[in-house]
Amino acid sequence: MACTEPQAGHAPLMEVSDLVVRFRVRGGAGKRTIVPVDHVSFAIGSSEVLALVGESGSGKSTIGRTLVRINQPSGGVIRFEGREVTAIRGSALEAYRKNVQMVFQDPFGSLNPVKTVEKHLIFPLRKHRGYRGRVLDQKVGELLEQVGLTPVPEMRAKFPHELSGGQRQRLAIARALAVNPKLVVADEPISMLDVSIRAGILELMNQLKREVGLSYLYITHDLASARYFGDRIMVLYGGKVMELAESKELIRNPLHPYTRLLLAATPGSRSRVNLTNPFNEAPNLDAGRRGCPFAFRCPLATDVCREEMPPLKHQTSDAAVGEHLVACHHSP
Amino acid sequence: MSTNRQPVLELRNVSVGYESTHGVVQAVRNVSLNVYPNEIVGLIGESGSGKSTLANAVMRLLRDNAFLMGGEVIVQGQNVYDLSHKELKQFRWKRMSMVFQSAMNALNPVLTVEEQIVDVFRAHHPRMSKQEVHNKAVSLMELVSIHPKHLRSYPHELSGGMRQRVVIAIAIALEPDLVIMDEPTTALDVVVQKSILDKIQELQKAKGFAVLFISHDFSLVAELAEKVAIMYAGRVVEVTDGRDLQMDTRHHPYTEGLLRAIPELTAETVTIEGIPGNPPDLVHLPAGCAFHPRCKYATELCQTVPPNEVDVEGRTIACHLYADEVVK
Repeated sequence: MACTEPQAGHAPLMEVSDLVVRFRVRGGAGKRTIVPVDHVSFAIGSSEVLALVGESGSGKSTIGRTLVRINQPSGGVIRFEGREVTAIRGSALEAYRKNVQMVFQDPFGSLNPVKTVEKHLIFPLRKHRGYRGRVLDQKVGELLEQVGLTPVPEMRAKFPHELSGGQRQRLAIARALAVNPKLVVADEPISMLDVSIRAGILELMNQLKREVGLSYLYITHDLASARYFGDRIMVLYGGKVMELAESKELIRNPLHPYTRLLLAATPGSRSRVNLTNPFNEAPNLDAGRRGCPFAFRCPLATDVCREEMPPLKHQTSDAAVGEHLVACHHSP
Repeated sequence: MSTNRQPVLELRNVSVGYESTHGVVQAVRNVSLNVYPNEIVGLIGESGSGKSTLANAVMRLLRDNAFLMGGEVIVQGQNVYDLSHKELKQFRWKRMSMVFQSAMNALNPVLTVEEQIVDVFRAHHPRMSKQEVHNKAVSLMELVSIHPKHLRSYPHELSGGMRQRVVIAIAIALEPDLVIMDEPTTALDVVVQKSILDKIQELQKAKGFAVLFISHDFSLVAELAEKVAIMYAGRVVEVTDGRDLQMDTRHHPYTEGLLRAIPELTAETVTIEGIPGNPPDLVHLPAGCAFHPRCKYATELCQTVPPNEVDVEGRTIACHLYADEVVK
């Protein structure tokens, strides 16, 4: 499968080709192997946001966790700035993680309840950037200022339980920024926050992209926020890429039947789909499965879909809409 | 909004408080709201807005440390808090029922689906024959589009969407006049969520019950509900027609802020803007209008005097910005 290019005008920062992640799980009848990420390829450019959209079980979080090497890839290649990082260990992995940071969904679980705000930032600033004394103190202040945790002197001494959900997520972002990363994997960073707070966090991430040139892998189930924050959107289902295009193009011109279904189900969309099959089961992730994972729910599915996974193909060479890739036997 | 019909649910100046170490914390403040037959009313609010407390107050399911501080809850002409315990047991589920947020927690994990449905009939129609009850259970399952074979399933054997359908089936088993739904689709994937919402609308049309639909998801409620009430810090700050939830009509500044905060899916260019500050702490509620510290239109008046509800083009809005309009 061809490694897809980052968006035009962005030098590639992260390149992922044929990524496979397998897990051994205990099923109802003994152990079995599932493949939540199955030959996924994509690239992220510098100061580009790639939005990863899919339902639970689509593999989107596993991809994110594999990029920061919390999960280990079972196959494929991950390159960062041209260097392979798929299996690096020790100090090389530590150096890599300075460049690639993660922000988790749950800002209640990802912070240490017995550490003050300040302590969350002092540790990475000291360990990874070598700051000491006055400079360290100043850097903490700058970071808090940058993520909008103000007034700074008051915030420094607070504990996570004294912060609101939005403030906690700002602290999680500040902690990720402390090591001066080039890419942030943000796994549903706003889904647990109140609606009035979400826009502020998205805007903060946007601002960091503009000002520091930060890139993101933005993992979400919400097409509307993916459309807002993502330069491109990659739609996943059952561990495989269904469609990949520039955000505007994907929303305006969805080509994959799954993208169309997702779009129609999103509140605020104008398209209507009759959800005739309400027995939505989770996709089959078992090793050895065949065909397109969406075939069992797909209104267009034919025999070939159940037998053979369609390749991810270019749909357009129109420079105005950029690269638009679709994996469907029935796309035009 | 018709006024000549008798409302199914009438809330008159309802206030609910919680006993806490800080004294009584008022979670719901003077809420008045009507829900009419055949109507889906949306209730939107953030965490701590009092929306779930209000729902529990209607069902008279308030926790031990919570109590009705004032006002009346009237369902089909009956004050819910005047009922004896025995009467309440019959009234609840027969006239009003509730769909809870987490379907996994609402269902008993060690009973089959059928046993949980049968339970409802056994409690309310003890003389109904076994065969009759079984038939009822089968038709309820068909109503929510689940194969009746799943009557023998345990909750963990069903998908999240199917479990929520079962919970809905149980809620409408006795054909109540009012169904309260507290975030019924929050934990579900969008496609499943959509199919549940379609099902709710279909059932509501077929059976004619009224729905009070509680959610934090603004765009979802705007699509589903004919009438929408927006809560902030325990108060209903606006009641509006669902179709009017757009930027080009006049709203409460909080509603306006929410509208600005949500990225639009299909617009050519998308801009969003968050509401500054944080949701209020009910223990230290700001004086005057509780929203004033986050409001860009706030004046000195807002810091001291709580606003009255006024009528703005058919919407009820509690804001000093519209003080020149007719007082309700």
